[in-house]
Amino acid sequence: MTAAIPESSRTYDLSFARWVRENVKGGDKMNLCMQCGVCAGSCPIGGEMDNGPRKTFMMVRAGMKDEVLSSTTLWNCTSCYRCYVRCPRGIPVTSIIQGLAAVAAKEGYADKEKVANYYFSRAFWWSARTFGKTDERLVTMKYFFSFGLAEGIKRSLANLKIALGMIKAGRMHVGMPHTIRNKSQLKAIVAKAAELEQKG
Amino acid sequence: MAQDGPQSQTIAVIGGGIAGVTAALEAAETGYDVILIEKEPALGGRVSRLNRYFPKFCHPTCGLEINYQRIKKNPRVKVLTMHEVTAVDGEKGAYTITAKKLPRFVNEKCTACGECARVCETEIDDPYNYGLNKVKAARLPHEHAFPMRYVIDAAVKGSGDEAKIAEACKYGAVDFSEEEEEVTLNAGAIIWATGWRPYDANRLETYHYADSPDIINNVEMERLANHDGPTEGKVVRPSDGEPAKKVALIQCAGSRDVNHLPYCSMICCLASLKHAAYVLEQYEDAEVHMYYIDIRAHDKMQTFYERIKVDPRIKFIKSKPAEIHAGADGRPYVKGERTIDRELYEESYDLVVLATGMEPAARDISTGGDVVKDEDGFVLAIESGDGGQISCGVASGPFDVALSTQSGTAAALKAIQAVGAR
Ligand SMILES: Cc1cc2nc3c(=O)[nH]c(=O)nc-3n(C[C@H](O)[C@H](O)[C@H](O)COP(=O)(O)OP(=O)(O)OC[C@H]3O[C@@H](n4cnc5c(N)ncnc54)[C@H](O)[C@@H]3O)c2cc1C
Ligand code: SF4
Ligand code: SF4
Repeated sequence: MTAAIPESSRTYDLSFARWVRENVKGGDKMNLCMQCGVCAGSCPIGGEMDNGPRKTFMMVRAGMKDEVLSSTTLWNCTSCYRCYVRCPRGIPVTSIIQGLAAVAAKEGYADKEKVANYYFSRAFWWSARTFGKTDERLVTMKYFFSFGLAEGIKRSLANLKIALGMIKAGRMHVGMPHTIRNKSQLKAIVAKAAELEQKG
Repeated sequence: MAQDGPQSQTIAVIGGGIAGVTAALEAAETGYDVILIEKEPALGGRVSRLNRYFPKFCHPTCGLEINYQRIKKNPRVKVLTMHEVTAVDGEKGAYTITAKKLPRFVNEKCTACGECARVCETEIDDPYNYGLNKVKAARLPHEHAFPMRYVIDAAVKGSGDEAKIAEACKYGAVDFSEEEEEVTLNAGAIIWATGWRPYDANRLETYHYADSPDIINNVEMERLANHDGPTEGKVVRPSDGEPAKKVALIQCAGSRDVNHLPYCSMICCLASLKHAAYVLEQYEDAEVHMYYIDIRAHDKMQTFYERIKVDPRIKFIKSKPAEIHAGADGRPYVKGERTIDRELYEESYDLVVLATGMEPAARDISTGGDVVKDEDGFVLAIESGDGGQISCGVASGPFDVALSTQSGTAAALKAIQAVGAR
């Protein structure tokens, strides 16, 4: 991703599609899309997305830059790759969604006021970085308390029964969070990734 | 024969479908010797298994019968049935065709009296109806078969039926000593008319064809609607024989998909419109949903599409379904995204018909010499090499019947030019 993203002074920015084609990984294949709907129909969490992949691609073509980059589709994608595998035109759908998400983050479209699950991804990433694993208790608590002390307590109490049930069923452990061995290597990997990201 | 001209002026036509039959007749009627080689026990190819033809809804036998009469009258056409071509080699004027001659166990003395079938107890999956029903192992291939001669399946060999059948035939037509053998044939020019087979629906993993008898393909739909099909023409649910009133037609099942057939099969949109008409005709309260990417009605077929479209009982849903599966209630469910309004849907049907595309049969045949196949297995109709090998019908590309016959005539003309003036 090198070129600067086009200015969005208009609702329909017709240079957006070209920009995506040239700057987003897999974007050069996007023009093969025949709008069949297999990708969106295959998405296990398609119901949680505002636009889904097919419509996103059409919106890119239409130059709807703001709507595309601030859509929940980019953040709700779980990278299951079903759309990618099934696309009858062989389009790397998942890669394009991820690429658009990266652009959105960089361009400030992923700020906390704009993305509903901003806090969740931050909590998730914190746990992954700190322990090399996601600890569902800590991720959940951190996420709940991101909304403030009162909201945090309220949400925690509301979920207490579920948590106890999970512990009873052996689905959630008690005690110290599990960590990976060699955390220093993880640190090095993350540092390297940040460095590459900086370079663009 | 001219000194430096081609050695053989015989034209071999591989495949006795509508395209091959047309090519063979056109060449023979201008005075050339033709061998028409067909692997099935009867001529007619896929067309003889259709219920009716779009766009005019006439019965396929009309188109075929007239050609069979022409063959009967023309001694220059030599018809070889149950000969499966496996390889072609050589060059213009001197081709060698290798074929597997499959045992029929019935010779030309057969009068089609049917005594053999009457005593036969062994049953096999009926190949004519794509295995949707059972049929006696000794049988007429189908009611309008040409040649009108019985055939006996090898399943009878060694069973108690063998002696009974041999004894039942009063004309000495049954001959169980026949064995499969390899034969070679010679010709000066070759016309490829090997046609197509339906794309294997089992390979469309997300459509779970094998999981429900009520998920069928489009060639099976033709048989369901036909009076000599497994249900005597009633479009019913294969699972329980109840009327199939709510029917989903799934376009591009395998076609236009880089994971399957990358090309558009051209006829399946029209075939599905025809299938809609079969259902609408049978049930007043029918409900047909056609799931499509875009409807492709080529050339004059647009008027056919428009004619079917006006019926309020047919609904067009712009969406390639993502999944089809058998639900807990046993009914087939169709799931995906409607692309006009982005609604996600999941709906159940009595019957789901997959519009599977046409895959060229020539894919499996080893070709030598100067013939060219494209990456999908279609034999290119352009004059490749020295022009001694020509193709027509669906062997050359996805065509409907009208285009297949036209290309058959064109192929005959090219073959005549290849073998030279008489
Ligand atoms: C569901 C469906 C419905 C259709 N309905 C219509 C319609 O209503 N109207 C219309 O115009 N078109 C229709 N079509 C298209 C039509 O079926 C084709 O245009 C037609 O069959 C082409 O004829 P053909 O002779 O080229 O091929 P085929 O009919 O496939 O004939 C080829 C012949 O070659 C033989 N053969 C193959 N390999 C060998 C071998 N190795 N050795 C010897 N013989 C061999 C086969 O046994 C067969 O007899 C439909 C297609 C589908 C899938
Ligand atoms: S599956 Fe592929 S071709 Fe179909 S809408 Fe999605 S991206 Fe486009
Ligand atoms: S004819 Fe229609 S159903 Fe068949 S491949 Fe083409 S678009 Fe798809």
